[in-house]
Amino acid sequence: MAVLISLSLSDMLVVGLVYTRLIPASKAIGSSYFQFLVPGIVVVGLFSAATDTGRRIWLALREGVVQYYLTLPIRTRGLVGAYIISGGLGGIVYSGALLVIAYLSFMLFGAPIPVQGILYAITLIPFLFVLSTGIAGLAAFFASVSRRGEIYWVYAQALQVSMVTISTVFYPAQTIAQYLPAPVATIAEYNPLSLAAGVLRNSAFGGNALETGALANLLATSLPLAVIGALAYWIILRTIRLKGKP
Amino acid sequence: MNRVLTLAAYNVRMLLSLRTWFILAWALFGLQIAIYGSLMSKLVSTAVPNYLFYYAIGLMVIVVFDSGAEVGRHFVEHAHEGELPYFLSLPVSRGGFLAAQAIYGVVNTMIKVLPPLIGVLWFVGDLTVQGAVFAMISMFLLGLGITGIMVSMSFIAFKSVDIYSAFLAGLSALIVRFSTVFYPLIFMPSFFSPISVFSPLTYGADLTRWVLGFDPNFLLNPILAAAVVTGVAVGTLSLSARIVDKVIEGVKAA
Repeated sequence: MAVLISLSLSDMLVVGLVYTRLIPASKAIGSSYFQFLVPGIVVVGLFSAATDTGRRIWLALREGVVQYYLTLPIRTRGLVGAYIISGGLGGIVYSGALLVIAYLSFMLFGAPIPVQGILYAITLIPFLFVLSTGIAGLAAFFASVSRRGEIYWVYAQALQVSMVTISTVFYPAQTIAQYLPAPVATIAEYNPLSLAAGVLRNSAFGGNALETGALANLLATSLPLAVIGALAYWIILRTIRLKGKP
Repeated sequence: MNRVLTLAAYNVRMLLSLRTWFILAWALFGLQIAIYGSLMSKLVSTAVPNYLFYYAIGLMVIVVFDSGAEVGRHFVEHAHEGELPYFLSLPVSRGGFLAAQAIYGVVNTMIKVLPPLIGVLWFVGDLTVQGAVFAMISMFLLGLGITGIMVSMSFIAFKSVDIYSAFLAGLSALIVRFSTVFYPLIFMPSFFSPISVFSPLTYGADLTRWVLGFDPNFLLNPILAAAVVTGVAVGTLSLSARIVDKVIEGVKAA
């Protein structure tokens, strides 16, 4: 946790500050790149914490710990739910800590923090929880289908780079639409990380009222991921229960 | 010498069996250049002309850094999986064992970096044999230095792998972010720039950009950069040889 926090902190206070000197303020970026980037870093932090669920599932499958889980007096559904919920909670705890750090860094650098923004941030917690369970579900899916060796890490790295790169975490949607093909811009627009970063920028840090459309899109893109991951993990647990191996 | 090469060849064969990793690494490199690199270059174009090229070299330096760190991890994994006592029982000197690790690291770096380097140079229309060769030499020296640092730190792992992993993750974050890998030194706030001169990546990245003809106004003095990169490679490899020689005995399997 300390290492993850230090990575996010250095992204905010080093990368963010230096790029602010390189990227001029604009209508799409806002008053400074620092204020644009910091909410995105909070979302990337949530992503990193939630994907840890995949690593734990992969380790449990690889080291046979899952066999022990199956002897516990709990149903397979309960095991699956526990993993997905733990991913969601992990993401919330971590991104909550990052939100506090982000607000403090805004104060440190004289960026305005609207009071209602803090209330919106608290209101957003359940939505971020759902996003986090969705990402945990995606990681669980890849962990469940990783049958040989270290292939999980191939999937995990590909997932992280593609989801973070094809999103509006680092650059505005207008820039993506202007310079990249339309399908890439559409993927970036509906990427749950983009939706969460947008909501945080507008409401938690911008003080604008929460947009129900954006929140609905966030739920609509996150929930199916959580369901797919839960289903994949449930299938693999059931297979182990019946056949003794994945 | 033949024994060292045999040991190195064994490691390299193991490395070449990981084809999926290499294909993924090249694909992710391409994705980052095509999307992150191209979009950020549009955003920073007024401050740093040709930022796409600047970023591409920085990303290659990150690959070199990761590759060097992987050699350290490889060494530590050998120790904790109980393979190290076997390797030490072979008729190869400690220096030879370390040299075999270094050869493994160099091959790993070359495989990961050479195709992206040629691809980027071709894409920006700057592909020349001497440019590619000197860039590889620069990154090769940097890679040796990083490998030396990581192997030197492996004595921490002999006490605790968890502390080693956490220490390396923290160190990596600092070394990369406080360097000129992604942004020129002249744009760093004055309270950061003194830290960045302690990062070997600052010198390796700027030296590679200089040999590839990037605007020197955005770079460090190339003579200084070459001296530091060479010094770090020689110094840390010598240090790692001493440390390995002293602490390698009695390492317990996990």
